[in-house]
Amino acid sequence: MGAQFDITAVFEYFVKLLPFIKISLLIVAGSIVVGLGVGFLVALPRLYRIPVLQRISQVYASFFRGTPILIQLFLFYYGLPELLKTVHIDVSRVPVLYFVILTYGLHSAAYISEGIRAAVTTVDRGQIEAGYAVGMTGFQAFTRIVFPQALAVAIPILGNLIIATLKDTSLAFTLGVMELTAKSQSLGQLSRHFIESYIALAAIYFILSFLLEKVFFALERRLLRHESRSETAERVSLGKKWLKRRLETKVAWTKGGTGI
Amino acid sequence: MTLDPSFIWTAFVQILPAIPTTLYITIVSMFFGLLIGTAVVLIRIYKVPVLHPLAAGYVTLIRGTPMLTHLLLIYFGLPMLIDSLAESFGWSFRSVSIPMIGFAYISFSITAGAYMSEVVRSGIIAVDRGQLEAAHSVGMTTFQALRRIVLPQAFAASLPNLSNGVIGMLHGSTLAFTVSVVDINAQAQIVASSNWKFFEAYLAAAVIFWGLTVLVERLTALIEKRINLYNRGGVT
Repeated sequence: MGAQFDITAVFEYFVKLLPFIKISLLIVAGSIVVGLGVGFLVALPRLYRIPVLQRISQVYASFFRGTPILIQLFLFYYGLPELLKTVHIDVSRVPVLYFVILTYGLHSAAYISEGIRAAVTTVDRGQIEAGYAVGMTGFQAFTRIVFPQALAVAIPILGNLIIATLKDTSLAFTLGVMELTAKSQSLGQLSRHFIESYIALAAIYFILSFLLEKVFFALERRLLRHESRSETAERVSLGKKWLKRRLETKVAWTKGGTGI
Repeated sequence: MTLDPSFIWTAFVQILPAIPTTLYITIVSMFFGLLIGTAVVLIRIYKVPVLHPLAAGYVTLIRGTPMLTHLLLIYFGLPMLIDSLAESFGWSFRSVSIPMIGFAYISFSITAGAYMSEVVRSGIIAVDRGQLEAAHSVGMTTFQALRRIVLPQAFAASLPNLSNGVIGMLHGSTLAFTVSVVDINAQAQIVASSNWKFFEAYLAAAVIFWGLTVLVERLTALIEKRINLYNRGGVT
């Protein structure tokens, strides 16, 4: 299978793959934006215990965490056009990239909503009461008191999620999006140097996730500078999102599992 | 092409025979992953000279790259390695005789090993050091203390992580279709493309995965209840 191993090809492919980083990062960025928006909407009913909506958002999170992302990709790619056809919207000409971003977005929204819930519950209820006591409105108390503190807790969660999403984008090739993995596959097919192109691919993913991790670690340190003695929990580096992170108040952050 | 609800059931029934393959991949990779993970943790905790940096590098490298690249590298790299070794040593064994699912087993075990090492490590850290010292003071050897005292407690502490790991590998096993193993995902693809009903087939596959995930969760809850019986601390 393939030609003789040739180390120079690794460097050659590494350079050739570089331009495709931006497609992968675009998917990650787009899906995180979608995920933050949807995730916030999904988290709200459960934070404020709104009767029926609470159940719906539970089922939403359960479904997206209980099925593999690959299945979800196919499901949305084939299912969404059909569903929209029933309300007379034709999306058959929409580029695949949008479907991919939407699917990753909805997928990460499930995790983000759990993260938001965990982060908000780590902030002591007394803080909000103290906010009320000095005359703040509910909105003020949330934006000025709860949110900045919750953000510091949420940043490592978000960082883990972004790294996990980056690694998940390697699946987008199944729908024919020309990102890093797809490009490395086509490079390998052209020259039969499969191993070399996959080694270059792995190197790029590794460098990207390593850099992302450093950025988020610095960010976390900065957001937690108000704590006199930083009590950051033991870090799980380069996290896959199903690795549970124990937060300070023993709130679990889990990937996998449906939570019902 | 419109939604055909009755086909969802047909697809569901047709996908069912592929469930064992998915479960095999999950169980085998979790089993070897735990073995590799435990070995890596012991190497890292006891700081075995040469192996220690190797183990750390292994964990970082595997966790920094997608599972798919591990599978692709093993799938294309291992035959090359085996064949060139076989040629130079004159073995009769050739990579062609490895079944496709073997590549999935090997690569997913390697992936799981890195993630499981973190799970095992957090479990062992969760057990107080005094427990080991107490075991020593009643005359147990280190091996006895690890086996009788530390590991059971570490297992209880890392059970939620383990269950997440199982679910992660269950979902990860969908990648096996890239090396032409017919698991649930590949079977759904086959059913979908032979009937030209993609949405229905994947919906059925999604329902199966959802069900399996809930099952794993429920089982974990049961085991957790049983295993935490000894734990009488707290106020409840």
